[in-house]
Amino acid sequence: MTRTAAEGLRGNPLRDARDRRLPRIPEPCALVVFGVTGDLARKKLIPAVYDLANRGLLPPGFALLGFARRDWGDGDFAALARDAAEKGARTGFREDVWRRLSDSIRFVSGSFDDDDAFDRLAQTLVELEDTHGIQGNAAFYLSIPPAMFPTVLKQMQRTRMADNSERGGWRRVVVEKPFGQDLKSARELNALVDNVFTPQDVFRIDHYLGKETVQNLLALRFANTLFEPVWNGNFVDSVQITMAEDVGIGSRAGFYDTAGAARDVLQNHVLQLLSLTAMEEPVAFDAEAIRTEKTKVLGAISLPPDLETYAVRGQYDQGWLGGVRVPSYLDEPGVPPTSATETYAAVRLGIETRRWAGVPFYLRTGKRLPKRVTEIAVIFKKAPHLPFDSTDTEELGHNQLVIRVQPDEGITLRFGSKVPGSAMEVRDVSMDFLYGEAFTESSPEAYERLLLDVLIGDATLFPRNEEVELSWMVIDPLEEFWADRRPELYRAGEWGPRSAEEMLARDGRVWRRP
Amino acid sequence: MTTTLWDTNGSEIVKTLSAERRAAGALASGLALTLVVVTDEQNVAEAEAAATTAAAAHPCRVLVVVRRRLGADDRLDAEVQVGGRLGATEAVVMRMYGRLTLHAESVVLPLLAPDAPVVTWWHEEAPAKLAYDALAVLADRRVTDAAAAEDPLRALRMRAKDYAPGDTDLAWTRATPWRSLLAAAFDGGTPPPTSCDVRAQAGNASAALISGWLAVRLGVRSRVTESAGPGVTAVEVRFEGGERLRIDRPDGYLATLSRTGRPDRQLPLKRRDLGDLLAEELRRLDADQPYAEALASVTGETGLHQRPSTRTHIWREPAGTRGEKATAAKTAAKSATRSAGKKAAGTKAAGTNAAGTKAATKSSTRTTAARSSGRRTR
Repeated sequence: MTRTAAEGLRGNPLRDARDRRLPRIPEPCALVVFGVTGDLARKKLIPAVYDLANRGLLPPGFALLGFARRDWGDGDFAALARDAAEKGARTGFREDVWRRLSDSIRFVSGSFDDDDAFDRLAQTLVELEDTHGIQGNAAFYLSIPPAMFPTVLKQMQRTRMADNSERGGWRRVVVEKPFGQDLKSARELNALVDNVFTPQDVFRIDHYLGKETVQNLLALRFANTLFEPVWNGNFVDSVQITMAEDVGIGSRAGFYDTAGAARDVLQNHVLQLLSLTAMEEPVAFDAEAIRTEKTKVLGAISLPPDLETYAVRGQYDQGWLGGVRVPSYLDEPGVPPTSATETYAAVRLGIETRRWAGVPFYLRTGKRLPKRVTEIAVIFKKAPHLPFDSTDTEELGHNQLVIRVQPDEGITLRFGSKVPGSAMEVRDVSMDFLYGEAFTESSPEAYERLLLDVLIGDATLFPRNEEVELSWMVIDPLEEFWADRRPELYRAGEWGPRSAEEMLARDGRVWRRP
Repeated sequence: MTTTLWDTNGSEIVKTLSAERRAAGALASGLALTLVVVTDEQNVAEAEAAATTAAAAHPCRVLVVVRRRLGADDRLDAEVQVGGRLGATEAVVMRMYGRLTLHAESVVLPLLAPDAPVVTWWHEEAPAKLAYDALAVLADRRVTDAAAAEDPLRALRMRAKDYAPGDTDLAWTRATPWRSLLAAAFDGGTPPPTSCDVRAQAGNASAALISGWLAVRLGVRSRVTESAGPGVTAVEVRFEGGERLRIDRPDGYLATLSRTGRPDRQLPLKRRDLGDLLAEELRRLDADQPYAEALASVTGETGLHQRPSTRTHIWREPAGTRGEKATAAKTAAKSATRSAGKKAAGTKAAGTNAAGTKAATKSSTRTTAARSSGRRTR
């Protein structure tokens, strides 16, 4: 932390590590967004940029440069951006803030294989150095399908836009998931990106890591004395990580049908949550130390020897969800009628370290489950001896610590308590810390936070390429095993297929109902 | 849900508050702090609005203390609200009359959220010495507003003399956007600075603090010159080689950042409302060293960091109370200074008599005795 703090001061006499009122503001820079007319840019990126501007977190010299195929001028793009900001911004829309920001918005149109367009883009960037004082600093956000990466990256190499030394500032690139579709393609992609940019300038966004609760997990574990002593196999019975969505695949059939739940969600979000839950204490709270610990955990993950029983996948059938009749996966528009893609995946993993030996980590994710919820439940062992009659403690379960990532961000602690009355009876009760109860108004959107981190150059919340590759090493054997099997059907609106229940029942456990 | 209690007492308020909380189902809600707001009747609405904005960002219990006529009969009226008019927070608005106004802490102490920090904010001119107000003594952080004083610059000098780590002033909070913009303008390097100039309306405390801060951080001469306002209107830094950096904000709304050899940039630099200022204050609850340094630089006071961060209550009989009894109380005030602050204040506050302080030192026994006689004269 101290090192990053010192770097953050950048030899500026007005910056002082003790002065916590001054916000972290990036140096003058440009943000170049490829695919700026796409869904992600409109729904997340542009609103996030506006919110940053509104909170005064953008430097005086800032430019947003959009690149897309549409034949537009700056004005058309400004109109689209304004619309996106008005609709998606978290903070109130203020005309004066927008007017300042829109002065700094430029648009370059062209296709990705058009040399002219990229020359124009490079030229615009150089011009912005003079008009907006961005001093050669630029972050490139690749909000485009991975298939386009090679073309765009080659163009950037050709125009020397990715070269740090060229304009005397920093050049960074932001990549969205999917980071490949298996280990091999991920390696190719990493090699390509790392070759054009230097590895420390590559920021892979996993927006779950931008969530306040996920960062709070580190505070919970490493800032307190209460939890760390029991955070190991001596006390922990098992860990369940759930990431459930109530929606179907929407209009993403084209991508989703080639990926499936394991590649889409398990490989990145869920394994990242697992690594933060299970990692050892980093020696410092900085990007390098935290990512090193995460890498160690991901490398220590073991798959169950018996995939037949401990790796389940499912596909939603038609059913009722929240009072609405919803179609089956196969009936979704764009899905081939014979598709064997999973929309639900559950697996039991182990972590081969002294801390976690023998503790199963149950991960599950799915679409069209009863509700949208992401949580990490640490389930503790039962007390080795209970001085009560067995009838007194019939309703006593395992102690649990649940970290609710979304919605209702917070922490729940479940423990036994005496039921009031003359008889001794112990039952489970919950103690709740609702993170969002009153803090939410000021906690930034994940993209807002992550975008700011990219511009500042803080990589703490971004997985590095090794983490991506190690995650694929966990997923690839599962995909291989599943390749010639059909997923089990589950009714939309249920908590997944029957065999997922059986998988835990076999171990004498049940899934927590989130 | 709002419950109004007329002519009530402290324990009644505590009971009502916990009943309201149960009714609202917020038994274990995360209270991060207690905010004590000291204000007068004219400013209650404004203070409430600000506290509501601030409480939206920081879960807290708001205790508004309105001190009314000292000459009236002792009386306490209270409004207890959970999730009511003051937003998703718990608030108690207390109106105190008569001698009770001098013992507001007796009502406030049992209402503080357990083991959470206490912030006291004077939405009026703060006492010359914060220790005169027991509500300052029990607070971990004390927020004053020099701009609320008739002579803000004199108020700043007073704050510097009286400073203890944990004090802060809204004049400093108002300077934050200026300071952020200046710091951002310095990112990416500048030649060595030679002098600074801050322009503001006459008697602007924020301008003085900005100037003091620049002087400390840059190690150069810095001064404030008068302009028509509103508030701070410009800051200029000159560098070796004749380069200049200037931020102009003539209308209190939009700033222009100009620097030699660079294109001008326009940026919103709005004067913020009270709620936003207070929310910034609540974000951080430890001592604010940069404020102390800026304050020291403006006023010439020294050793601000070395002062103890806790205060001892100083009993002071307000002017206007009658005759020799008041003098007696004044003598008692002196001895009270020497006695153990918080505890003595608490005991006195609870309105107990001499029996309650049997074990106390001679001086504090005298305090209590004098106090009781003071009560009798009421």
